Amino acid sequence: MRRILAQTRKELTQIIRDKMALGLALFLPLMQLILMGSAISLDVQDLPVAVQDLDDSPASHEFVDGFRQSISFHVVPYAIDRQPENAFLENKARAVLIVPSHFSRDIARGVNSPVQFLIDASDSNTAKLMAGYSSEITSAWNATNGALAHPAPVTAAIRFWFNPGRSSKKFYGPGIFVLAMSLFPPLLATLACAKEGEQKTILQVYVSSISAHEYLLGKILTFMIVAGAECLVLLTLLFTYFGLSFAGDPTPFIVATILYAFCVSSFGALIGSAIPSQVAAMQTVAMFGFLLVFMLSGLIFPIQNIPPQIRWLSNFVWGRYYIDIVRDALLQGGGWPAVWWKVLIIGVTGLFFYTIVWRNMRRMQLKA
Amino acid sequence: MKQFIRFLFSHRFLALLKKEFAQVRRDRRLAISLVIPPVLQLLLFSLVLNANVSDIKLGVIDESRTPESRDLASTLTESKSFRLSGYYYSVDKLGDAISRSDVDAGLVIPRTYARDLQRGRPVTVQFLLNAMNANTAAIAQGYAEGVIQTYNQGISSSGIHANFSQIAAPEVSRRGRAVLTPAYLYNPGLVGSWFVVTGILGLLLILNGSMVAATAMVKEREAGTIEQLLMSPAGTYEIIVAKIVPLFLALFLMVLFATAIIKIAFGVPFQGNILMVLSGAALCVLAGIGIGTVIATFTHSAQQAQLTSFFVNPLLTTVSGAITPSEAIPAWLRPLSSINPIHHFSVIARSSMIKGSGMETLWPNFLVLAAFTLIAVSLSVWRFRKQLT
Repeated sequence: MRRILAQTRKELTQIIRDKMALGLALFLPLMQLILMGSAISLDVQDLPVAVQDLDDSPASHEFVDGFRQSISFHVVPYAIDRQPENAFLENKARAVLIVPSHFSRDIARGVNSPVQFLIDASDSNTAKLMAGYSSEITSAWNATNGALAHPAPVTAAIRFWFNPGRSSKKFYGPGIFVLAMSLFPPLLATLACAKEGEQKTILQVYVSSISAHEYLLGKILTFMIVAGAECLVLLTLLFTYFGLSFAGDPTPFIVATILYAFCVSSFGALIGSAIPSQVAAMQTVAMFGFLLVFMLSGLIFPIQNIPPQIRWLSNFVWGRYYIDIVRDALLQGGGWPAVWWKVLIIGVTGLFFYTIVWRNMRRMQLKA
Repeated sequence: MKQFIRFLFSHRFLALLKKEFAQVRRDRRLAISLVIPPVLQLLLFSLVLNANVSDIKLGVIDESRTPESRDLASTLTESKSFRLSGYYYSVDKLGDAISRSDVDAGLVIPRTYARDLQRGRPVTVQFLLNAMNANTAAIAQGYAEGVIQTYNQGISSSGIHANFSQIAAPEVSRRGRAVLTPAYLYNPGLVGSWFVVTGILGLLLILNGSMVAATAMVKEREAGTIEQLLMSPAGTYEIIVAKIVPLFLALFLMVLFATAIIKIAFGVPFQGNILMVLSGAALCVLAGIGIGTVIATFTHSAQQAQLTSFFVNPLLTTVSGAITPSEAIPAWLRPLSSINPIHHFSVIARSSMIKGSGMETLWPNFLVLAAFTLIAVSLSVWRFRKQLT
């Protein structure tokens, strides 16, 4: 035990003296969380809409005002005699609303009046959202205008659970937190292990009386501490800037975080001792950490959307389970019954990595 | 101009160029990094980064247990958007299922559903959505409202309609309604990958360009041959330009390759002028090389260059609007995105390829790209001499 702690102390001193490593450990995750957490969002507001009101009557003004009031749209001026497509070609507007010249007459006569809403669909997700928003605005206008001669027989009272304001930040914040936790601690662990191999200081370790378990646990414990510090810093940010809090029992989250720190640090140690070159080892970890966790864990887009041919891959991505646990702890509050098996998977994955790296190292000798 | 041309064909410059070409040609890792990332990133990103919402798991509590209520549930689940995952018998059970993520949405049909409909009274059903993912929730809400609207129209055929007409307002005082007909231009099939692929192209050019350039520049320093270069009669700008030219040509081959993938594998329509997109891509490659050379002049080893790119790349990627819509970037980050070359190139690629916009509307984007490139390259020329200290 004493040897493990001594090893850990040596590693921590090394990190504190290396400005780049310290920045990598604490500053970069913070920057990433703020930047990505606020910039990654599919939830658009203030979309420019050009209006061509050919009727120009009180009724049509009232109708267009509905779009003006919405926070999703903002109306930009556009001349009536210009082709609406030009607004899209010039990137002036994302949609064009065209009110026909017989609009107010139709409304007064009790005839349904067609209003055209042209959408620039080059961004298909935003196009779908715009179609949804605009139809909500129209039905609200129809309802207040007493146009509902037939009251709708069935109406749905839609309730949003867990995130009633539908804030993207609250969804992506925990995801980016997991990305940071899966990228930086293993990166530092890899650098530390690969450095020993590259600078041949590993030979000193081999000739000393330290055992493979002690050497590895010392390294892994260091980066678990780093991960813990990082986790505290990031959680503070999540609780303040992102406005999140523990939704239920925090114990699964705490246990999972400790196990996840062990898992990713072992992964870093594994890559670092397998590839004795800092640049190559770093590239490997960045690729796994970034590509796999970013793409295959449901961080931005749901896993169900990945085509089935490659979706099975996401079952092997450890970050995926941790993301579910973090989101559950901060938003859903399902607690142990919802996530116990995910915590277990993370623990098993960590042990798996540790076993492999230990098997590689156990003889504490240079490979022939 | 004449001086510039004379410079290009000067003996000294050609010799440097020959050396750099030979180096690039023999670098097998460079060749790999020009082929693998474009294929992998374009295919993987566009397959995985898919915002489509479908197969939302729906749990139903049917307290009415009548043909009418089952009709509503089956109308919701017959589309691809919702999939029936099971019936529940108490609200608590359904709530638990939602918080365990077993189901994504819940529909609660009240006991009086069928009776109210028969008597011509409006009914409200409850629709619970797990809104953890804000985007999915917004789109699911749209789906649900659309389905229920269609269901309401369809009610007329099931005999219930008559009751509703009776209690409705008399014909004379009825006002017309506005019927909004949305039309999707340029991408009527709402293919999601077109948006992602055109954004990824810019990402690829800048990130790959800067990485390749940084490694190539730092190599000289790591090997210690930089002093020989600086001692030679060649000027700093000659050395830098000679380094940039072969990299540029190699990366431009990657651009052509990636464009072919975009056309063939994803079927993105090339509405606009392809030469304009390619010239934008060329500027973008130069900007990427510029970023790489600047990083290289600030660092001492390949490892440091790579660590620095960890600081720079997330910044460039997130505030670019390449993967997510640029309108979603908060206002305090917009200034950063307006100098981001990835942002400008994705505007060029998207507007030209999908919509067919021309130079008359895209010139500001070209201007910013060109300015960015010029500044980055001059900065690296200026920094180059100071490397030895």
